[in-house]
Formats: sequence, C-alpha cells, structure tokens
Amino acid sequence: MRKAFALARKDANAYFQSWAGAFAFAFFFLVAGILFSIVVMTYSKISLDVSKGYQETQGLGLTRFIWGSFFANIGAVLIFLAPILSMRAFAEERKQQTLELLFTYPLSDFDIVSGKFLGMVWFFEALFLPTLAYTALLHWLGVEPDWGPVLVGFLGFWLLGLAYLSLGLFVSSLTDNPVVSAIVTFGLLLVFWVLEWVVSIADGPSARLLALLSPLNHYQEFTVGILDLSNVVYFVCFQLYFIFLAMRSIEARNWKG
Amino acid sequence: MDADPAARLRIESPDREICVRAENISKNFGGIRVLENVSFEIAKGEILGFLGPNGAGKTTTVRILTGFFPPSSGRVWIAEQDLARNPGRAKQRIGYLPESIGLYEDMRVEEFLKFSGAMKGLKSAARKEQVAQKIERCGLGDVRKRLIGRLSKGYRQRLGLAQALLGDPELLVLDEPTNGLDPKQIIEIRTLIRELGRERTVFLSTHILPEVSMVCDRVIIMSRGRLVASGTAEELEAGLKKAREILVTAGEPWRRDEAIGLLRSLPGLEDVRVVKEEPDQVSFSMTVPADKPDPRAEISRLFVEKGIALLEIRSARLSLEEIFMRILSSDDSAAGEAS
Ligand SMILES: Nc1ncnc2c1ncn2[C@@H]1O[C@H](COP(=O)(O)OP(=O)(O)OP(=O)(O)O)[C@@H](O)[C@H]1O
Ligand SMILES: [Mg+2]
Repeated sequence: MRKAFALARKDANAYFQSWAGAFAFAFFFLVAGILFSIVVMTYSKISLDVSKGYQETQGLGLTRFIWGSFFANIGAVLIFLAPILSMRAFAEERKQQTLELLFTYPLSDFDIVSGKFLGMVWFFEALFLPTLAYTALLHWLGVEPDWGPVLVGFLGFWLLGLAYLSLGLFVSSLTDNPVVSAIVTFGLLLVFWVLEWVVSIADGPSARLLALLSPLNHYQEFTVGILDLSNVVYFVCFQLYFIFLAMRSIEARNWKG
Repeated sequence: MDADPAARLRIESPDREICVRAENISKNFGGIRVLENVSFEIAKGEILGFLGPNGAGKTTTVRILTGFFPPSSGRVWIAEQDLARNPGRAKQRIGYLPESIGLYEDMRVEEFLKFSGAMKGLKSAARKEQVAQKIERCGLGDVRKRLIGRLSKGYRQRLGLAQALLGDPELLVLDEPTNGLDPKQIIEIRTLIRELGRERTVFLSTHILPEVSMVCDRVIIMSRGRLVASGTAEELEAGLKKAREILVTAGEPWRRDEAIGLLRSLPGLEDVRVVKEEPDQVSFSMTVPADKPDPRAEISRLFVEKGIALLEIRSARLSLEEIFMRILSSDDSAAGEAS
C-alpha cells in the first residue's frame, strides 16, 4: 500500500501542476461560490418575508434550505468536474508511454489502480474541502447551521464524487487520449443524469429499477440530510465495480507503449 | 554459410547459476505470431547480447521478460522466481531501460528518481542514498533539478539508466540503449554498461553488431520471432566473416575458362564461379575464409602475368552489420517471404 500512496502522491502533484487541475480549481470555486451566493441571497429574501407571516424555525429550516439547495445543485457540477479530474489517470500515462515503466516496477495491479484512484480522490478532496469554509462564513455572520445534515450532505457529495471518478478511471484506462477519456466519461455521466429525469417522469417497475441504478437518486437523500446505509452501500458498490473493471482493463495490456 | 544446426542453439552447461530462464515463450498479437517458441538462459553475471533486425521481436521478448505483458504461452523465471506466479518478487530483481523510454515530462529529474525508488519499494533513507548515488553514477548531477521534458536525448537515456539501476537489481534489461545518441554519447553509454556488467547480469538488446562484440560475453540472434544463432561474439564473427567475397571483372570473355583455372589455382579461394557474362567482359566471384590473407594483390599479379585484361577487382567485404543482415535475410528467404 505504501507504493500505492507514493503513486497517488505523484498523481495528485501532477494534477496540481497541470492546466487541467488549475482549470478544475477555478471552475469549481467559481461555480460553488456563485451557487452559494445565490442560495444565501434567496434565503435572505425569504427571511425578509417573515414579517409578512412566513414563519420558519431558525435552525433546521436554514440548514435545509441553504445546504439542501447547495448540495442538490453542486451534484450536477460533478458531471463536468469528474471527467476533467479522471481523464489523466491512465490516458496520460499511455500518451507519455510511461506505463511501460509503471507496469514493470514491482507493483501489483491493485497497487496501480488504487494509487491512480487515490491520486484523483485526494485532488478532489482538496478541491471541495474549502467549501466547508462557507459554513464557517455563515457562522461568522451569526447563523449557526445544523451540523448533522450539513455533514451528511458533504458525505453524499464525497461519495457521489468518488463514484463518478471511479467511472472516469475505468474510461481512462481504455484510451491513450485524455480528451477522449473526458468526453466519454462526460457522456456516460450525462446518461446517468438523464436517467434521473426519466425516473422522475415515468412510473412502473422498470422506472423503479432505473431509480435504483441512478446515482443522483441515491444522492438526493444525502442532500436533505438523510443518512441511509443502503445509499452508502450503493455508492461503495458503484466504486468497487468500476475499480474492478479498471483492473480488468489494465490486466489485458497488450498495447504498444 | 550456415553453421551446423547443433551449434545454432547451444544448450548451456547446467552447473552455472541461472539468472534468467525463458522456456518456449510465444506471443501472438491479434492472431499474428510475433514470437515462436523462444527459449534461452542467461547465466548469473553474464552480459548477453540480443541481436536482431527491426521487427524481429526483440522488444516483444524484452517486454515479456520484464513482465510488461505476459507471453501467450511459455514461462519465464527471473532468479528462481516464476514471473507469472510471483510477479512482484521477480520484478524486484529487474532494472529495465525501455526502448524509447517514456518519462513524465513535467517532473524534475531528482523528483522522478525519488518516485521510481518509491515504486521499487525503497524506504526513504535508502531511497535518498540510492538516488544520490545513481545521479552521480549516470552523470546527471548538472540536471538534477531540470524538467524531464527539457532534457536532451542523451540525458533522457542516462535518466532511464539511472532509474533502472535504483535498488541495485541483479538483472539489467536494456533495449537498444544507444539508439539515437551521438557517437560520443554512444561510447559513454557503452562504457557505462560494461562497467555495470561487472557487478550484475545484463541483457542487452540491440541491432548493432559491433556494440555486441564490444560489450557482451555471449550473443543470441533472433530473426522473425525465432532464435537463429547463439555463441560468443568471436565465434559469431568468425562465422560471419566467411561471407567475405571478392569480385573480379576481366575484359576478355573468351578467356573465361582460363581465368577460372587461374583463380582456382590460388590457395585459399573457395567457391569460384562466374556471376555475370557480357559481350565484352566477365565477372567472377569467390569467397575467402576469415583467417586467410587478402588475395587481391596475388590475383592482379597473376592476371597481368598471363596478359588477361583486368578491369576491376573489388573486395566485397561487408561491414559486420551488413553480413549480419545478410544472414538474417537468407533466414527470411528460407522461411518464405518477409512479412
Ligand atoms: N502491441 C503490439 N500489437 C501488435 N503487433 C505488435 C505489437 N508490438 C509489436 N508488434 C509487432 O511485433 C513484431 C515485433 O516487434 P518488436 O517491437 O518486438 O521488434 P524489435 O525486434 O524490437 O524491432 P526494433 O529493432 O524495430 O525495435 C513487429 O512486427 C511489430 O509490428
Ligand atoms: Mg525493439
């Protein structure tokens, strides 16, 4: 595992130094910032209506409103973010033809795949942890959120991110072109997103099955502060499945460099 | 000009300690067979040259030995470890310099070597020491902080060698290490390899014959995915030099038989025959064994003495590479058409 960590560290460093990483950072901060401001402004507008008789209890209502809408919307941002974070994983190594070294070092396939996965997970975490600062900002403004649901929301966001990244990891192992990897990952995530729409419109057993498969459907409960173990299990299975596929994909490595 | 078949694939004496054993390895790429039942052994401490023309399957063999991909069939042992069963432990003993080495272009030299060391499982204190030592050994001191993407080809090659040496593996696998270097760098790298070979086993893949005779203890030759010859460099060269050829062109075709008689009377000339006959001239070819002196002076003296017009006399002594390629192409034509 020490080797996997070393590989992850190399990859995370490379993300931080790459244009894709810088772009991801800028993109995420911009979107998260704008989203958060909109949510807070909308909330304060509604709060002003309190005088007109719209009563709401301070704690839970605020948390649910601000963080609930924040998480619900930021989930969509991941559809754009995950492809950018995962595109380099294997595709870049293949482009630079460095896999020949990596695969001939005394590493197991599991070391390689988990190292690759961890590398982008670390970068992803570095990316979204600062959003916790928004909570601190509210605290400074004198608004105390209900911490439980906020943390559940973050947990959900983290799990959704990891799920998307694992899918991107697998796609990246199939191509030697990072851009192709990003586009295909984006396409697949879009399909999942559309799945969620279909589910919300259609009805019947097949719709229920689709709802079961749809990551966003499982994510939704996290955003409103509900921690259901089955949702956690779903995301863990989702990741393990794609990590498994990525391992199978690099096992069959008859490519040229 | 083939040596007898028994000498082509020689069986190694069993009492020597074996570092690498490849047993009947074959490789198919999408139905095309690239390697065909290749077997060989490398003794501990030996520097083995691995020769073959482009596309012979050298890199494929090397990649199988280093565990980059598995053979379609056959087995490989590295220092008693079965590569398929214990890939981790087997790979731990290999330092590999790939053919056109891909490197992380946006890492710095020292940073990359630290990463390589970590991949080889070196703990931080040992890693630091090893990295410093290999930088020194491979002459990378001046560029240790430089971006790899900015390195010249020669420095990239040294860096490749340095990463291969990290952890002091007992087997060094080098795939065309001097490819694309200028003559000065070639000499430097060869010297380095020879020095390294004193301490460990080296498997050197190349298509440059002199490189092999300069550096290696023993050579195996591959053509079209099969091993076609094996032996020390001297043995091979002696075998190859037999192909040295003399071409004589005389001016009076009607005196052809007389000329042939003259040539056949000279000692040491073999296989005298007419290769081209035109209205005003005739050409003969003959071969000379490696240990016999150049017969050209003798031939011209003899022709002048007999009054035969000598138009041209040429030693078709080919460079070692050319002779080598010739053997291989004769192997090609024997095997049918080249793919
Ligand atoms: N991944 C691959 N997929 C399909 N064919 C391949 C692959 N790798 C190599 N080949 C084919 O296998 C044959 C042997 O290639 P290889 O690279 O082993 O030759 P080589 O002896 O190293 O040649 P060179 O001197 O040019 O490096 C070639 O015909 C090549 O096209
Ligand atoms: Mg090659």
